[in-house]
Amino acid sequence: MSFQGDEYGKRTLDFVQRLQKLTSYDDICRHVVTELEWFGFTHVSSISLPGPGREATQCILMNTRPREYIDRYIEKNYVVRDPVVTELRRTVNPYSWSDVRARRDLSKSEKAILDEGREFAARDGLTIPIVNLSGSMSLFCPCGLEPNLSERARAALEIIGIYADQALKRAILQGHREEPAHTPLTPREREIMQWVATGKTDEEIGDILSIGATTVTSHVENAKQKLDAFRRTYAVVQALRFGEITL
Amino acid sequence: MVIVLTGRDRRKNPDYFDQHFRLRHEVFVRRRGWALPCANGREIDQYDTDEAIYFFDLNQDNIVRGSIRIAPSETCSLLADYFPHLVETGDPLRAPDIYECTRYIVMPDRKSRDDNRAAKARVIGAMLEWCLRKKLAFLQTVIETKTLASYLELTPLTIPLGLSHPYGGGRRAPGGGECMAIRWPVSPQVLDDVRAYGAHEPRAEAFAGFDSIGRHTPSELLH
Repeated sequence: MSFQGDEYGKRTLDFVQRLQKLTSYDDICRHVVTELEWFGFTHVSSISLPGPGREATQCILMNTRPREYIDRYIEKNYVVRDPVVTELRRTVNPYSWSDVRARRDLSKSEKAILDEGREFAARDGLTIPIVNLSGSMSLFCPCGLEPNLSERARAALEIIGIYADQALKRAILQGHREEPAHTPLTPREREIMQWVATGKTDEEIGDILSIGATTVTSHVENAKQKLDAFRRTYAVVQALRFGEITL
Repeated sequence: MVIVLTGRDRRKNPDYFDQHFRLRHEVFVRRRGWALPCANGREIDQYDTDEAIYFFDLNQDNIVRGSIRIAPSETCSLLADYFPHLVETGDPLRAPDIYECTRYIVMPDRKSRDDNRAAKARVIGAMLEWCLRKKLAFLQTVIETKTLASYLELTPLTIPLGLSHPYGGGRRAPGGGECMAIRWPVSPQVLDDVRAYGAHEPRAEAFAGFDSIGRHTPSELLH
């Protein structure tokens, strides 16, 4: 009734099964790198796209591309011109660097960015956009000298990327949870801290939520206590660190 | 509130079912452009049998704002009937302890991120509770590959049954894209994951806070 998959299918399903047993961040990274090598990908970066006010360097879930390359990339602010990134304005489906070259005429500066990648042992690569319904977006980008970019390989890498992204996020989250313990906020406290983070006063928040300013103040005070913070600025920072609110 | 009805209850509760069929028409036929059998603005197919189980998420005014349908895979399986090529593991698609879910819809009155999460968890949680009580082994379904990340967000125990394949689409046949088959083990762990998801557990994305590049990537992997 159902056909037995080829090597791509088998490997990928096996990859997922083994990944589901891993909890340590380092083990997950190793597992992903080993799997990518089979496809001829020697490097990978996995990024959760930065929201407003967050530095690109803070959003890296995993990276094995050379340090000098990344430093240069950030210093030159390539991210706004890199055709492999700007292609995301056109599609949310996976694509390779060579697809981008074939799809449209690149400007000189765009070509220069791609060519620079070659100097760092990456002739071609894949960009796999990962969209969550909760509104965040990640990219999984393996690259190498002669990577396998066949249709089946792409289908396999899409699943590998999505699973790797989720596993890395969970491992990082677990790492933060094990740091200092904190009492979770109530939904109302969380909502109010979200407004505090945008710079609203207690009166303004009260108006928005149709409650009294004093009620808002008492929610903030409770949140401060739970977050072990004396001042509300620090409470906002703590709430962000613990993942209670987002920017 | 989520209510559970079987296909046999259709005559006793025409109102809920009518709302459900209209909602399906709106979501799958009008918005997604799937070529499905429909009449009078309602979408009803061959899997709407007496054995099918429906989970309806009702708002305060008793309006259906979310729903999911499951059916025993032995008699009703879209996967086995139309998409057997999606399964590359050789796993059996029809078994008494495997149910298949289809026509999953969540449209809460308020559409904030948290409300969507809570609504998803309500419908899927109710379905899992029912399946646990029935001592089922797996729930299987066909999804659009693009949505895999959202299923993984619900529970990391989501198991792929194969790689993604193109379906439908093209000129004069709207809809279409890439789809794949997945399944969930029916276990208390998965139910816990889904509840935690709905209860606004801290989001992993909020934590992607590394101080410097590659600092956390094991050093031997850095070239």
